[in-house]
Amino acid sequence: MATYVARNGIGENQRRVEDVRFLTGHGKYIDDVNIENQAYAMVLRSPEAHADIKSIDVSEAAALDGVLLIVTGDDWKSTGYDPIPTKSAVRTFIDGSDMKVPPHHALAIDRVRYVGQPVALVVAETQDICRDAMELIEVDYESLPSVTHQSEAIKEGAPQIWDIAPGNVCLDFELGDEEVQKKAFADADHVITLNMVNNRVTATPMEPRGAVADFDPETGKFTLWNSSQNIHANRDTIADVVLKIGKENLHHIAPDVGGGFGGKNGVYPEPILILHAAKELKRAVKWINDRSESFLSDTHGRDQVSKVQIALDNDGTFRGLRTESVGNLGAFCGTVGSFTPTGGSSRTQGGPFKFDGIYYTAIAPFTNTCPLDPYRGAGRPEGSYHIDRIIDYAAAQLGMDPIELRRKNLIPPEALPMKSPMGLDIDCGNFPEVFEETIRISDREGYAKRVEASEAKGMKRGFGVCMYLECTGGGPKEEAKVTFLDNGKVELSVGTASTGMGHETVHAQLLAGHLGLAMEDIVFRQSDTDATEIGGGHGGSRGLEVGGSAVTQTSRQIIEVGKKIAAHRFDVDADKVEFEDGRFHVPGTNHTMTIRDAIDSQNDPDNLPDDLEPGCMNISSVFERGIISIPNGGHACEVEVDPETGTIKVDGYWVVDDFGTIVNEMLASGQVMGGIAQGLGQALMEDIYYDESGQLVTGSLMDYALPRADDMPRMVIAYYEDAPTEKNLLGVKGAGEAGCVGAPPAIVNAVCDALKEYGVHHIDMPLTPEKVWKAIRDAKATG
Amino acid sequence: MPAITVRVNGLEVTKEVGARTLLSTFIREQLKLTGTHVGCDTSQCGACVVTLDGKTVKSCAVFAWEADGADIGTIEGLADGDKMHPMQEAFREHHGLQCGFCTPGMVMTAVSLVENNPDIDEDGIRHGLEGNICRCTGYQNIIDAVKTGAKAMRG
Ligand code: FES
Ligand code: FES
Repeated sequence: MATYVARNGIGENQRRVEDVRFLTGHGKYIDDVNIENQAYAMVLRSPEAHADIKSIDVSEAAALDGVLLIVTGDDWKSTGYDPIPTKSAVRTFIDGSDMKVPPHHALAIDRVRYVGQPVALVVAETQDICRDAMELIEVDYESLPSVTHQSEAIKEGAPQIWDIAPGNVCLDFELGDEEVQKKAFADADHVITLNMVNNRVTATPMEPRGAVADFDPETGKFTLWNSSQNIHANRDTIADVVLKIGKENLHHIAPDVGGGFGGKNGVYPEPILILHAAKELKRAVKWINDRSESFLSDTHGRDQVSKVQIALDNDGTFRGLRTESVGNLGAFCGTVGSFTPTGGSSRTQGGPFKFDGIYYTAIAPFTNTCPLDPYRGAGRPEGSYHIDRIIDYAAAQLGMDPIELRRKNLIPPEALPMKSPMGLDIDCGNFPEVFEETIRISDREGYAKRVEASEAKGMKRGFGVCMYLECTGGGPKEEAKVTFLDNGKVELSVGTASTGMGHETVHAQLLAGHLGLAMEDIVFRQSDTDATEIGGGHGGSRGLEVGGSAVTQTSRQIIEVGKKIAAHRFDVDADKVEFEDGRFHVPGTNHTMTIRDAIDSQNDPDNLPDDLEPGCMNISSVFERGIISIPNGGHACEVEVDPETGTIKVDGYWVVDDFGTIVNEMLASGQVMGGIAQGLGQALMEDIYYDESGQLVTGSLMDYALPRADDMPRMVIAYYEDAPTEKNLLGVKGAGEAGCVGAPPAIVNAVCDALKEYGVHHIDMPLTPEKVWKAIRDAKATG
Repeated sequence: MPAITVRVNGLEVTKEVGARTLLSTFIREQLKLTGTHVGCDTSQCGACVVTLDGKTVKSCAVFAWEADGADIGTIEGLADGDKMHPMQEAFREHHGLQCGFCTPGMVMTAVSLVENNPDIDEDGIRHGLEGNICRCTGYQNIIDAVKTGAKAMRG
């Protein structure tokens, strides 16, 4: 207990508060939310990648018993609702002209542009009736030529998706100094080039998206329960921008959310559609996506093809880096989709390595595919893949050692703080130490024996590393509000959104630690527009960085008020009062007062000095992050490849992360391991694949492979804690995304190491057995 | 509509069910036991696992009428009053869950794996959980939880 309070809750592996609810089947997820007399909605989705809607005949469907409402694009047009806006932070082309933003209406109007796009909403008494009604809706489509791959979309003569976007280009982008990069290339001994693919994947939270909308005709107010990670911002968009009902008239709540990973960040059409339906019907309306629809309609992530070039000298010194990326946006801009291949992928170019010059350019075209939006890391996994793959590839081409190459070029601690060539403010860390520690813990001594054992079985073993550097993101502001309730409980409301990360525990742990309160007394609220005024939700590894800082700031303010109350009681100046272990005391006297005493006193004016009002300890404060933090770390990975079948077994995994201060190691490691699993999935099996005609081939869990328990290795996770950042109140750097930033390059590097004797030095993700087998065969054929 | 009679977590209930009603829908909507989750439509994810006469099944892959006369166990019936089952305790101890959506199916499967093989090892656990997808944890803490849970169940 002593260390717990002394460290203000930091460092305790507090077990999770939410677990009992989840483990006993009492979690309340969106499909567990039911309103009396609710109707059910389903969405008729486009079977066509690109087509004109000639006509929609709903007469038979509407006549079906139990059908309550059908809404088509024409109906939607007549409502006068606005399209869903995009909020990308990058909004202009290199030449200064505006990003092309096509209108993203909740229902397709006149034309469909991807398979799965909502074409009509059906509301009925039951889901079965919705299904039957959808069968009866006749849509007359006139197919148009379509394009799904970004490289094809920007070619001359490609089908044009939006009139406002000639050549299908939504946006282009540059960052860095091209002249400096060019000079570095000209001066260097070698320039090595590799074209690489960052495959399209999707977040696939185990809980599909869903929402329940209700409307009160008396007050004109709406309530929306939504499996969303971003309650406040999406309320503003839905209420103020799209439906124009005024945000004060929309109460937006997320119940327990079964995973998000970015896939539940954006504003989606369906919740908007059912809000409209609830108003029309004056009745609650529930909509739940099924898994196949999720693949068609949850935003996708990554999907970049890139040409990466590194310039280096004979002695291995890195000189310059040049990346040209084309990022597939899908049919619309997404909520922030166009930021990912542009700004999002640019900032961490070059990782934690020294370069004379780096220059990044990108083109973001539209295609006839589901819109792109953030997926865990959104741009940083791509950036990390660029640098850490090109290093290994260059090492292979030049006969150098990839570990030595990294060792030689890491930015030394004495160079920090510094501004990277990409403008990132890298304040602290010790990259060489983190790297060496990664190598140290990865059991190199036993490696030769394991190689031998693999060879004896006819297998190839490989080892790969990655030194990632990433950055936090998401909303810079967060609110933490504390209310001391009459029943002795303490209500803590924070505007962050846990979709499994454990905020209910860690924020409470911080508050309890700072104030010396018992965990059991804290009641946590999140993801509710009535609980906090503002809220940045979840995204960019911001939960502790911004949310935890807000909790800390509010705690400190409560302590300051408590000191005044104590000073008033003891009749001393407030600056004489100190607070420690949940007690206010005046050193050198026997005056002490517990925080509980202070809380109990706060409602009676007699207990308060003149400048305090009753309820003065109930405080809400907003913390604002100035500059984003820089998590960094090393991943090392061992794989065994069967050259006969191309199957890969990831056999060992080691990580050293610098997340600054570790508040709850158990939760941090949970984030890292989950992130590695998603990175492994992207590297080895996950692929959103559209065929030539724009049909989604990998549209179910039978076709879209997710890592299972026996695909995963044992993982060893360690932390470098000697470089807490001063950019926030906790010294934390953000832990949520790092795992899937580091894993793909580490795994692919290990596989390429295993296959080097065949001359296989690169395979594009996902490294399926078929691709690996073919790569070996082709390499053997060309000798 | 025909009626079925089942014992659910030890209590007998009789209800009418539709010919197309899945066991998962019956449990969630008619019995209001929402701890059984539905994460897919192709019987792949395992979020819906319950026991049927002591054997684990994916309740989305069984029609409700097929369960007539059977004993059904769901996550809600695992704890003994306020005292969680040792497997539930172990999941909490090892941080074997994050969002909790896969968890009921995971725990039901884990209990049954251990009941069938009290000395199950890591490989056996990984293999035995093949039909249960977790997108949050990377599985390691689940494996460790099952090991600890198995030990506690052995007593
Ligand atoms: S819901 Fe039953 S296996 Fe996915
Ligand atoms: S804990 Fe979220 S899917 Fe397993």
